[in-house]
Formats: sequence, structure tokens, C-alpha cells
Amino acid sequence: MEGVAMKLPSFKSLAPNAISFAVGHRSFTRVRRSFSLSVCSVASSSATIAADSEPVSLGRRARKDFRILHQEVNGSKLVYLDSAATSQKPAAVLDALQNYYEFYNSNVHRGIHYLSAKATDEFELARKKVARFINASDSREIVFTRNATEAINLVAYSWGLSNLKPGDEVILTVAEHHSCIVPWQIVSQKTGAVLKFVTLNEDEVPDMDMLREMLSQKTKLVAVHHVSNVLASSLPIEDIVVWAHDVGAKVLVDACQSVPHMVVDVQKLNADFLVASSHKMCGPTGIGFLYGKSDLLHEMPPFLGGGEMISDVFLDHSTYAEPPSRFEAGTPAIGEAIALGAACDYLSGIGMPKIHEYEVELSKYLYEKLSSLPDVRIYGPRPSESVCRAALCSFNVEGLHPTDLATFLDQQHGVAIRSGHHCAQPLHRYLGVNASARASLYFYNTKEEVDSFIVALADTVSFFNSFK
Amino acid sequence: MNTTSSISSLKAVASPPLFISTFRPTVKSLRNPKFPSRFSPKRIRCMQDSNINLNFGSKSNPNPSSSHEFSVSFATVSSLEAEEALLTTTTTTSSADKLRLLVTEFRSLTEPIDRVKRLLNYATVLAPLDDSARVPANRVTGCTTQVWLEIKKDELGRMRFKADSDSEISKGFCSCLIWILDGAKPEEVMGVRSEDLSEMNVGVHGKAQSRVNTWHNVLMSMQKRTLPFFDGDDDDVAHREEDRRLVQHRQEHDLLFNYVNGRRRSYMESSDYSVSLLPLDYDFTI
Ligand SMILES: Cc1ncc(COP(=O)(O)O)c(C=O)c1O
Repeated sequence: MEGVAMKLPSFKSLAPNAISFAVGHRSFTRVRRSFSLSVCSVASSSATIAADSEPVSLGRRARKDFRILHQEVNGSKLVYLDSAATSQKPAAVLDALQNYYEFYNSNVHRGIHYLSAKATDEFELARKKVARFINASDSREIVFTRNATEAINLVAYSWGLSNLKPGDEVILTVAEHHSCIVPWQIVSQKTGAVLKFVTLNEDEVPDMDMLREMLSQKTKLVAVHHVSNVLASSLPIEDIVVWAHDVGAKVLVDACQSVPHMVVDVQKLNADFLVASSHKMCGPTGIGFLYGKSDLLHEMPPFLGGGEMISDVFLDHSTYAEPPSRFEAGTPAIGEAIALGAACDYLSGIGMPKIHEYEVELSKYLYEKLSSLPDVRIYGPRPSESVCRAALCSFNVEGLHPTDLATFLDQQHGVAIRSGHHCAQPLHRYLGVNASARASLYFYNTKEEVDSFIVALADTVSFFNSFK
Repeated sequence: MNTTSSISSLKAVASPPLFISTFRPTVKSLRNPKFPSRFSPKRIRCMQDSNINLNFGSKSNPNPSSSHEFSVSFATVSSLEAEEALLTTTTTTSSADKLRLLVTEFRSLTEPIDRVKRLLNYATVLAPLDDSARVPANRVTGCTTQVWLEIKKDELGRMRFKADSDSEISKGFCSCLIWILDGAKPEEVMGVRSEDLSEMNVGVHGKAQSRVNTWHNVLMSMQKRTLPFFDGDDDDVAHREEDRRLVQHRQEHDLLFNYVNGRRRSYMESSDYSVSLLPLDYDFTI
């Protein structure tokens, strides 16, 4: 981590306080722009740029691929800090989608005609791209779903219903997203299996000692997040897998917040199942995936019935297709899957290590700036040499409702953050709050945007306090 | 536009007594921060807000030099007078009138910040809710903030609402809705359409049916819990109601009422959450 920080351009000396130099910067931008990027004209007005000797940040370079970021909302330049909810999509992804519908839209695995063959090839190529992206050994281990939620439900209904018995235990953490709690509640009600929840330790991260102690022969599954969408902490999945496998339990990893931001290698993690959503990783909505180890997928019964998932249908029974088709009943989101493939290409083109490196830097910057404001409580671990937070901060400002903050930030400053429980109500209850505000970054964000956010937040707080 | 005349004729009602009696124009409350233009390096400066105009349903004007006479005259209305005015006129001022006034008022606030300020000001005049009313059964679900709503029917057969929220903006919404509907007959409560509120939106863009829309959720909850008091016979309302628009939408209302009434039992039995599944959620107009 240390080395990373050294390599990256430091803006600290240039931007100790965005307020003091914004004007000077703007004029400087114009000079620089002529030879740096072919940024569209709207973008240029917002750009503030590092000194000539400093390399342009990844965020700055990436922004040209995201037209959506170059706009004004409510009269202010948009600062999009809600990528943990959904990411923006680069031109390459939009082109892939457009291309599919414009030139080879056709159903897959069915027709023998040219377009269908082309669509099938591209669809299956997308599966390979996803497999490569998370280093699965075989693309047949990738099942396309609508999103991560559906992928978790698939495992819950298919694997869970056929493998869990009364008294069996499923271990979760209190920090799970609702999509990794509710399916297990449903399945536990149906099977009599028991859900056990790991709570947080004093560093406000899920307590791994507690998890280890909970594991027993009764444990059949550990279903946990990789990176928390609220706490910004990450779990030691490799270790958890070893511990769980020791007692014969399987592990499902909710990788929604990790796959978009860092190298995720399913073989290295050795997890049994892993899920993610396309829309959080620069891909379109309506598509997500389940990674499952081949042998497990082979043993699992179908989740939904219909076309595509069978090999022979008789009136009284059917024989099921092999995975992944077995789990992909009906016409899939073809164009969306192909565009997800394009998103994998796009991210790989930049390089996931590079994205992660940059986000680590952004994350530190965000935490540092946000924690410097008075009366701000940030949830999750403090960053340190050993603790590396994801590039997001869930927080509350003393005496102010996060929704009021978010409303004002949007209306008055064009800053988009999320407010609410972020689909993690049990966690919020555990933290003793009903809601929090969350600013979440991606590689297309910049330190200047963090500065803008901080200025806007300070302003927002003083606005509301003036009414008290 | 004849809104001005309608406002003037209703000006005495447009100001709830509560506000006049509880509002303290302290220096602090008037010193709203003026916002730095976008990314300007300027520090927040506090300036007097010429826009403060704490009269429910009054049309404000960002330009004080051309402000409407009624907003001035209001400030001078004593709380007693206002209260009397309110008491004597509530019988003749329908919720629809109040709603229109409020919509006009919010529409006149073209700057989003002014709408927020207005809501926050209205939040300050919201009558307090007893702690005993802050129970789960009174929670309005579907909002990103916590909202409690207490509903009663008084001896005159009018609906009485009280509300509170942990969010100031939501409190402002509640304050406005209560001003519109507190003391209204059940059929009047049922007659307000969610779309009518969209003009007043603060913080939620586009359609009114967003699941984070507090206006919408609180109104739905008011209507859902008023339903048991409502006998479904709103004919006299339509006759008394001169509003052409309302008459225009009557058919649509009837459809909704039929739907609601047709499913009355299961609807009432289900949790508050089901409110968001009602077709009231959707704008079917093309
Ligand atoms: C950690 C985590 N898990 C699961 C999900 C659910 O993703 P989706 O709604 O795309 O299924 C999210 C998205 O908010 C998330 O952040």
C-alpha cells in the first residue's frame, strides 16, 4: 500500500483546500486541455488539473469515456458519488449494447440462421469474458442471472432447499445486504435450518474470531460479503473458505462490491459460489452472474423451469440440461450479457490492479477529508497500514437526517449521494441508527470531486444548522 | 391566471394560526446561508433571506419589491384573528383550495433552495406529536426517513392528523399535508391525488410515485387510514366542489375508489407496505 501511494500523483500539495484555488485552476485548465485529452467541451469547464509534472490521474483520464458525468444537475456540475448503488457505463459498453440491437439482435441457442449464430457466439463469448475476469477455470461455471440478488436466490432455492435439513446452520454476518439475508430466511423457514449472525468487533468490522467459533459440523454454508457496501471493510475470504471447508461447509461470496473494484480470483479464493451484478461494474442493468464450482452446479436441481434449461421434455418429466443452461430458463438478457462482456474488456483494459490502486488512494483521501469535518461519524474501520477501506464512506452528521443532507446536496450542489439503510437494515440497527448517508466512489471520480463534496457538505450542514 | 384573486380572497385562511403563534423570527432563523455559486471558492456567507414568507399557501416572490400584498398583510394578522379566520373559513375552504394554494406557492419558488427553505420553515410550525404516538403502527413506511402519523376522527366527523419525522424536510412535507387535510372530511382526504403534489416536490424529480417520495407516502398513508372512516359516498363533495379539474378526474377517482373498495378487506388487512402497490401509485394519464 505504501508503495502505491508513492507512485500515484499526490494532490495534497496542490489541493489542500479546493476552495482557495478554484479560480486560478480554471484558467490553467484551458492551456492544458489543448494537448491532454479530447474531452468533450462540457467536461473542460469542470476540469482542474495537476501541475505539468504530475501525471493526469486515472479518474481524470477515465472521465472522457463517461458522457453522463459531464453534465449539470440543478445548476451545478454533477458530482456522482453513488457508484456503490450503481456505476456509470462507459461508451464502449453502450456501443456494445447498441451494436447488438442494431446489427445482430436474435435469439440465442435456437436458430440456425446467421444472426442467431452470431448472437449465440457473442453471448457465449461474454460468458468467457466474465469467467476470465474472475479467473474461473471454465466458462460453464458462470451462470447468467438478472443480478446478484437472483444469483443468491438461485443458490438458496436450488442448493439450499436440496441440501439443508432441520438443525443445519447457515452463517451470515449482520453486515449483509438484504439480498444475502432474506433468501436464507426463506430457505431456513422451509428447511428448518438455523441462521447465525456474526456481529461486529470493536473495529466495527465483522468479527472473524466469532465466525470461527460459530463454525461446527452443523454449519453447512457460510454466506458473506467480500466488501461491505456500508462499512467499506473487506473480509478475509481465503481464510474463511479454509475454515469453512474444514468443517465441510460451503462458502458463498457476495462480491457485488469487490468484483468492480479489485482483482477477484475465484480459484485463489477457492469459494464455492460467488455472485456479482453487472450494473455495479460498468455493465448494464438486468444482468448479473453466479459463479459456482462445476461439481456443485452439476448436482443442483433447476431453479426455474422453461425453455433453454431442459434437454428433453416429456409430458410427465423432463431431463435437465447441463449447467449453466440448466439455470438459465427462458430467453436471457442477451444484449446485456454481451455488454457486460464489453464492461469486463473495458475494466481489464485499464487494469483491475490499477483501478484498485487508484481507488485506495481516493478512499484514503475521502476518509481523511470527511473525518476532518466536525460532528461527522463515519462507520466501519479506521484506515491504517493494515486496514484498507473500499472507496466509500457511510456516515452521519450529528443532529441531521441523512436524507435531508442528500436532498440538499443534490438540489443545491449537484452532488449525488445515497441516503437510507442501503439495504442493510440489520446492520444499521446494530449500529444504533436508522439511516446513514453514503458517498461511494469509482475510478472515474477524482480528488477534486471529493473536495467539492466536502465543501458542499460543510455548506449543507451549516444551512440546516441555521434553522435550528 | 386567476390564482392571485383566489389567493387574496382566501388570504386569511392561508395562514395557519399555529405558525403565527409559534414562529419566532429570531436572527438565527432569518440568517439563512446564501449559497456560493457552484464551485466558487467563497465561504458561506450569511444573508438575510428575502424569501422567507411563512404563510402556508401564499404566493411568495423572490423579488421583494414586487411581493404580493397579502404576504405583507399576513404578518400583521394576529394569531387570534388568524385562528378565528381559520375556524370560520375551514368550513368553506376545501382541501382542494388549500392544495391549490400550496401548489401555487411552491410553483412560484423557482429556486430549489427556496423550496427547501420554505419546507424547513413549515417544519418549525408542525404541531408536536405525543411520544405515545410514536409507535410502529403509526409509522409511514416506504420513506427513507422515519415518519409517524397519528390519525383520528373528531366528533364533527372530520379527520385530524398529527405527524412527526426525524427529518426536517419530511417534517415540512407533513406540516404542509396536515395544513391541507387536518379537519377535512374523509371524502376530501380521499380526493387528493398524489400527482397534485408533484408540483411541490423537493428533492425528488420527475414523477410523484417514487418510492422515496415522502409527499406521496404520507398522503397514501393518510388516505389508507382514512378509508375505514369513509363510506364511499362522495357525491355531495363533487356537487359542492366547483373545481373543474376535479370533476374532470372524477371518473378516474371513481375507478380508484371502486378498486379500493372492491378490495377493501384485503387492503385493510395487509400491512402499510401494500399501499405502494395500489394503482394510486401510477399516473395512468397519457
Ligand atoms: C453488497 C451487496 N450485495 C448485494 C447487492 C444486490 O445487488 P443487486 O440489487 O444488483 O442484485 C448489492 C447492491 O446494492 C450490494 O451492495
